[in-house]
This record gives sequence, C-alpha cells and structure tokens, in this order.
Amino acid sequence: MSKEVKGIQLSQVRALAPLKIVRVFNERGLANLVSHPRPQRPGLGLTGYLKHIHAGRIQIFGKTEAGYLASLKGEERGRCLRNYFALKLPGVIVAESIEPEADWIAAAARHNTPLLVSELHTAPLISRLNAYLYQYFSKTIKLNGVLMDIMGQGVLITGASGIGKSETALELVNKGYQLIADDVAEFYIDSNDELVGRANEVIKNLMEVRGLGIINVNDIFGASAVLDEKRLNLVINLEKWDPKKKYDRLGEDNLYFKILGLEVPLINLPVGPGRNLSTIIEVALRNFLAKKAGRLTYLESRGPAAPPAPPGAPEEPHTGGGEP
Amino acid sequence: MIEKKQQIFNKLGLHARAAAKLSHLANMFSADIYLIFNEDKVNAKSLLGILTLAASVGNEITLQAAGADEKEAIQAIGDLFDRKFDEEI
Repeated sequence: MSKEVKGIQLSQVRALAPLKIVRVFNERGLANLVSHPRPQRPGLGLTGYLKHIHAGRIQIFGKTEAGYLASLKGEERGRCLRNYFALKLPGVIVAESIEPEADWIAAAARHNTPLLVSELHTAPLISRLNAYLYQYFSKTIKLNGVLMDIMGQGVLITGASGIGKSETALELVNKGYQLIADDVAEFYIDSNDELVGRANEVIKNLMEVRGLGIINVNDIFGASAVLDEKRLNLVINLEKWDPKKKYDRLGEDNLYFKILGLEVPLINLPVGPGRNLSTIIEVALRNFLAKKAGRLTYLESRGPAAPPAPPGAPEEPHTGGGEP
Repeated sequence: MIEKKQQIFNKLGLHARAAAKLSHLANMFSADIYLIFNEDKVNAKSLLGILTLAASVGNEITLQAAGADEKEAIQAIGDLFDRKFDEEI
C-alpha cells in the first residue's frame, strides 16, 4: 500500500538545519504549502517571461537574480517585482547571505510570500533542498520482511509469517551484518531514482525473536549492528520447500521483484530441514556480487570431464575464469 | 476475503502488550490476516508490524482476512478488541 504526499509547509523547510537559513522576512507566509519537489530559479521569470514559473515550487535567488534586479531602475524594477510575486509563490530562498532589498520584501509581502536567507551557495542549496523534498514527496510503501545490509548490499528477506525470517536475520546480525528493519520496512524513491528502505520510527532497531520477545539490536550488539537506511539491491524470498516446484539448479534464472515501478533482482530460496539459511544467503550475496561484476560463476564450470589426453599431445591451455 | 471495521476500546490502544496478544491470536489461524489503518496495511501475525500502526483508543481500523478459517479469525480478533484485550475490567 503506498501513500502520496500533497505538500509541505514552508515552516518545515525553514527548520531544516542543512539549509543554513539565517533570516526570514514575511514570517506570516511560513504556513504556505510547497506542492512540488523541485526548487526553481526564476531566471527569465524576472524579465517578465513567467510562463514556466510554477506557483507550487520554492524559488531560489542567487547572485544572478540579485544582480539583474540591481541593474533595473525605477518603474521597470517595480513592475518586474510586482509581476513576479503576483504568482503567489510559496517562498523564496535567497542564497549566499544576500540581503533582500526593501522593495523585494514589500512586493513579496503583498502576496504573503516569505523570503528566507541562506548562507549556502545556490548549487549546494538546491541539491540539499532537492534531496530532502524528493524524499518527502516520494511515494512510500511498506513491505513485510527484514531489511539488512549484507556485504554492503541492501537485502530484503521476505517470506510467509513463521518461516524464519527474523531467526535468519538474527544469525546474520550475529555474523556481523547490519539490521535496518525487522518485520516491516518502509521504502521510498530518492532523487536518483533508487529505492531506499528504512524502519518505521516506532520499531527502529527492534527485532522480534520468538521465545525471546522483542530485543533491541542496538543495545545488544552495539551501534555497528544497525543502520538507518539502505538502498535496496536484492530481494531474497524464503518459501517452504515444494518438491513439485522447479528451483533454479544452474543459477541462471534472472527473476525480478517489482515495487513502485522499479525492478529489483529476486532470489527464491526454499527452506528445508538441514539448510543453513544464513550461510546460503551469504553465498547468494557473494554470487550476486560476482554476477554484478560480470562474472557468471555457473558458466565457468567446465561441463563433463574431457577424456584424458593421449600421451605426447600438447597440453591444453588453462582457461579458468574470464568472460563466458 | 472478508473485512470488518473495528473500533479500539482499550485505553492504551495497540501498544506492545496488546499487539503481542493480537499477533499471538492471529498466528493460530491459517488465513492471511491484515490490519488496515490510515492507508497502512500490516500483517496481523507480525508484532512489530502492528506496532508501526500506532493506533490508539477511539481509532477505527479495518480487519481483513483471507483463507479457509477467515470467518473464525475475524470473529476471534474482533472479540479480543471488544474485550479491550482483557486489560480493563
């Protein structure tokens, strides 16, 4: 089930420490709603070409905007500011600690648009703002499973209730890998179109182990055993061993798990007596990493043994490894 | 698949102890059972999942079950909510 977000109040943007906002003018407008994840620089908008200025986007003023406005005089400057702010913009962030002029503040105040002054240069300001708003506006989805970092890869272990997800995860934590979320993981798409998972605040660092109850992994294993969030690279689905089902015997199936319009590699792992899941998952990861690096380990086996070479024949060159 | 709207009557809402009772009960049924609240849908057999809902007294949630014993499951879980998770007399 996924949720969509309609807007964010400008006051929440103002409160973001990384944006280094030091002054605010027209504070009354801090309740304005920003409805679009991408900030915008007005550019030609100040010259009167307003067609692409979006009233839901935060506006960014840098040296270009300030310099252009400074080059205008009298009535022309007044008209330019009036037309621009008449768009009822949610807010303007002025970068590089540039001091807003009195007539900017007045023109903005008429339409209840706050001016926020940031210490940052425009480029880092835009990228930080963009990353935050993307995460805020991104659809989120909750998935049942344990999200872990195994060998640097984000792995979601899924499977029916009681199949042993948490027990397997506990073994993996014991082996030194990191837990992100047990039971329920929340995912969103970040500004690089990548799927990132994290735990709901209520259950962060917690794990349920039947027979032990709820344990706090951070308290028991230490801070190195947990992570806040992780990009999802692989889904491992645990399922009851079904003798009739055809499992991947060569390691050449390429299955995908579809989520929020993206595809994530998927491995179906049958659970049966005598199968040490945490070890199989570790090996699955090593194999996954080898595949990612372009090595198909299953193709590197040599098939049926060749008949022994007749004595005196030249020895075959050794061909282990390399591209298939 | 059947659904039932269910109000939360116990003062503390779906806190850890109530969630434990609920997931324990849900695990006795073979049906897939879900709780839906505020557009979030979680597995009723998962204790931590229930906790993420942070549902409190007076909230209305939806119980959903699908499987052979879905009717019995909804009945038993609805009862647990109505009995205020046996927390209050």
